[in-house]
Order: sequence, then structure tokens, then C-alpha cells
Amino acid sequence: MRLITHNMLKCHVKNCTDPDKQFPLRFKDVQLEQIDAERNDEFLVRMLPRIDWPALSKTTKELDITLPETVPGNPEDDEEFLQALHTAILETHIKQGSMLCDGCGHEYKITNGIPNMLLAEHEI
Amino acid sequence: MPAFILQFAHCHEDFRLAELDALSELEGVAVRYDAAGYSAESPILVVEIDSAASAAKLVRRAILIRSVSEYWGSGATYAELFAEVKRTPDRWNEFMQKSFKFTVEGFGRSLTQKEKVAVIESFSFLGFEGPIRMKDAEAEFLVCEEYGETDLPVPPETPKKLWFGRIVGRGSRHLIDVFDVKKRKYLGNTTMDAELSLVMANQALAQPGTLVYDPFMGTGSFLLTCAHFGACSMGSDIDGRQIRGTAGFRRGVNGISANVAQYQVADRVLGSAVFDISRNPWRAGALFDAIVTDPPYGVRAGAKRLGRKNGTVPQKSFTVIDGVENYKRSDYYPPTVAYEMSAVVSDLLAFAAERLVVGGRLVYWLPTVADEYEPEDVPLHPALRLVANSEQPFGSWSRRLITMVKVAASPEGAGPQKAAHDPAHKNFRDKYFNRFEPL
Repeated sequence: MRLITHNMLKCHVKNCTDPDKQFPLRFKDVQLEQIDAERNDEFLVRMLPRIDWPALSKTTKELDITLPETVPGNPEDDEEFLQALHTAILETHIKQGSMLCDGCGHEYKITNGIPNMLLAEHEI
Repeated sequence: MPAFILQFAHCHEDFRLAELDALSELEGVAVRYDAAGYSAESPILVVEIDSAASAAKLVRRAILIRSVSEYWGSGATYAELFAEVKRTPDRWNEFMQKSFKFTVEGFGRSLTQKEKVAVIESFSFLGFEGPIRMKDAEAEFLVCEEYGETDLPVPPETPKKLWFGRIVGRGSRHLIDVFDVKKRKYLGNTTMDAELSLVMANQALAQPGTLVYDPFMGTGSFLLTCAHFGACSMGSDIDGRQIRGTAGFRRGVNGISANVAQYQVADRVLGSAVFDISRNPWRAGALFDAIVTDPPYGVRAGAKRLGRKNGTVPQKSFTVIDGVENYKRSDYYPPTVAYEMSAVVSDLLAFAAERLVVGGRLVYWLPTVADEYEPEDVPLHPALRLVANSEQPFGSWSRRLITMVKVAASPEGAGPQKAAHDPAHKNFRDKYFNRFEPL
């Protein structure tokens, strides 16, 4: 699972609705893998407005990944920024571990890079 | 604008104009044609495009268009055709010394080599002096003899219409072979055929910079074809086995990652997850440029959603087995119930209205009962505009590829419009098993 996907997922357990707690999900016991990918600047620039930057910032800090604090004024011209963003959201894979919701405690397991986000019977 | 001849492939007739329109928007090439005058019985459509270069660009990704040619002439007889060609002799000068090739095709009738040669020789009035090259000719010309299809055992003697033009561009039908499911490393029993998976990528305007999502991804066909055209893709499914490769026809290859490697789209197939789309974890806001999907009709693949028949029993989550609460066990699978087709579709529209960016597209298959279908059956939504509806008939039932565009930001929770009567796809599964022959 890439960080770009993680940045788009929140806890959806019934009654878990505090926006500050249900997103972003907190990683626990994760195994990371860096896999090189071709730079895709057009995609990065188009996605920027859809990325929740504070959440990405928080998550990358938790994982010890370098990312600028704020988005520069002209991101499409900022090579250093684009490379850092690219590495963080497209080249960093979470292979194993889980995502924890600080609101309700639900633990979403990640196996072979695929998160299981099925809800249990009491959570729907 | 100058005229060009589009030569369509002989299949999926109802999808042709929809794909053409999608490509026009995708490539930013305006194309004018008389839709009302076009009959799917003909493989030829004359269109207006501003230049040969634009024409080539327009069709380069087409799956249902074989070629586009500069229009040089047409007629019911060769006499008529030649007369029209002879009205623009200055056009021929450019090709006087060039190597050239003529392709002569019969639509609705096979032409013998002798007949083709005779046709080519009849064009000698053009006076081309360059060499004939079967491969890599500098100029290629197409003669199409349109006999039409009939129910007669013997094809007609005389053609309905003759067409002549200079080929300036070709489509991408070669991709059908590249993505052939028979060659695919990993597939399942509902994997969509290559041709239509590719058409869907065009309908979705999948292109570099865009993000495409499939909420019923199965073995990931659309993630692959959309990524092939440069989009990034994500998918999810309630059935994790299809994604991981523990179900499906070829096991032990690690599921969809085998296909991702096979088609070299690992950089753009961004990820997949296991969840029920009707209880999905996507955060609020417009996230996707396109949603491309084939929802389960409940026939070969049972459409499921989380729940229990007669109501959930929350206590069952907490039953302790071997010291662990049921829902925390690694082999826990929550109960599911049937997800009725019209609910699947109306939920899909509501989801698309919220999660697509404005201008983004929803491309999905709607199964329908042939003799009950009415155009009003196609669900509508205030935030989405219906752009295409193409039928793939299977006799007593069909499926329709529906394309919708998000035209307005939708307030969260706005719902699809209620139909006046039950649509033909309601309870499709029951109708299928009670009435149709097995596929």
C-alpha cells in the first residue's frame, strides 16, 4: 500500500465520526519497502490539491520520511519538492502491519501490501 | 473542414460513435459527422476533421476504428468514384514519385486476389510513378467495396457503395492481442475481455495525470488498461481472494501483481484494498478522475455487501474462540448478504457524484432484460450527465456500457432520481436464472 492511498482512507466504523481521530489512520508495526518508480510529475501536480497535506505531513513524520512542511507556491517547478513528494507517496510501500483508528480503536490489517478494510458485524 | 473516412472494425457496432466522441474529447480534436445519418450496418463513416495530422491523433487510441483516410472519392459505381477523384488532380502531385501501396477490401464479400489486382490497376489513371511497396510505403491508399450484410447465402454481386481514400492514421486494435485474457497471467471467471476493457479506458478518458478507481475490481482488468494509457489506477473489492490470487483461474502467481508485472504498469497501478463499496473508507471530497467498473450482476459473481440476513447480530463479533474475540481472529470474515442490482447501481451513482472531480467520468456496465428495457431504466443523478449508452446484446439479455460525466459539485448525500417504474435491471439475478439460457 502506498502513502497516497493511505492519505485517502479514513476509519468508517459506525459512529466513529470525529474527523480529527478517524483520519489519518495511524500506522502500527509496519514493514516498509522503497520501490523505485518512474517520476510522474503530471500526476503529482494534478493530485496535489486532492492530497490532505497536514495528514500526509503527520504520517510521514511518524514513519520518519522527509517531506517539506508546506507545499511551495510553484510546485511544478520545484524539482526537490517533486522528488520528495514522489518518493513519499508513490515509492514508499507498506507491505505488512496495520492502520489504527485513534477514535474507535479498530485495527485495519495490511497483508502483502493490501489493506483489509472490511468492517466487523458490530461496526456496520 | 476536410472530409475523412473512418473505417470501423466489424464488431461492437453500438459502441462506435461513443468511442469516437470520447476520443475527440480526450485528444482535443474536433470531429463533425452526421450521427442521425449513420447506420451501424456500414463500416464507413465520413467525418470532418481539420487536418490529416489531427485525424491521425484522433484515432490513435481507438479500439473500434481500424483506420482513418483522407476522403478522395466515393460512388455507387467505379465510374462515379473515378469522376469524383478526378475532380482534385492537384492532390495527386504530392505522391507522384513516392512509394505507394493499395489495400482493397470487400465488406460483406471476400475479394479474390485477381479482383483486387484488377481494382488497383483501374486506378492507374492517377499516374503514380513511384515503386509499389507492401511494407512501409510512403503513401497508402484504401479502396473499400461495401456490399453490406445480408441474410442471403451468397453475397451480392454488386457493391452498395465504393470508397477511396489515403490512409493517414490507424487505431490501436493491436492492443487487443496484447491484453488478450488467454495470455494474461492471472484471471478470474468474470474477467472482462480485452477489447471492451480497452474501450472502457477510452470512455473514461484515462490518460497521464488522471486517477481512475474500480470499486469492483475483481482481477483488475480496468486498472491495467487505464494504466496502459497513462492513468494511475486504484481498485477495491469485497472479495480479497480475487485480488490476492487465492481464487481465480491461475493461482500461485500472487494475484493481480502478476498482471501488473506482465503489462509493466507497476508504477501506475497504485494499490488495491479489500472493502465493501457500500461501506467504504474513502474520505470526503472529489478524489477520482474516473470510476470504471463492471459491477457484479449477481449471475456468475454473487453481488454481496456486508450484513446478515434478517439483521446483524452484533454479539457474534465478540464470541471468544481460542481466547480471541471472533472479529479479531485472523480468519474472521464478516457476514454478507445479497446486494440487489438496482441498489448496486444507484449507490454507484451516488458515490460517483461525490467522489469524482467535476468533469470526471463514471463508466459502468448495466445489465438489462432485452424486451423489458426502456431508456428510462438508465438511472440518472442530478450531478451526473448521461453521455453514452452502448448495448452489447446476448439475445434475451444485454449489458449496456453507460458513461456519465459529473457536471456539478454534489452536496454530500444527494441521491439519484427515483424511477417511475422498476427498471429492467432490478432483481436482475432472479430474472437471469429464471428466464435465460445459461451463458
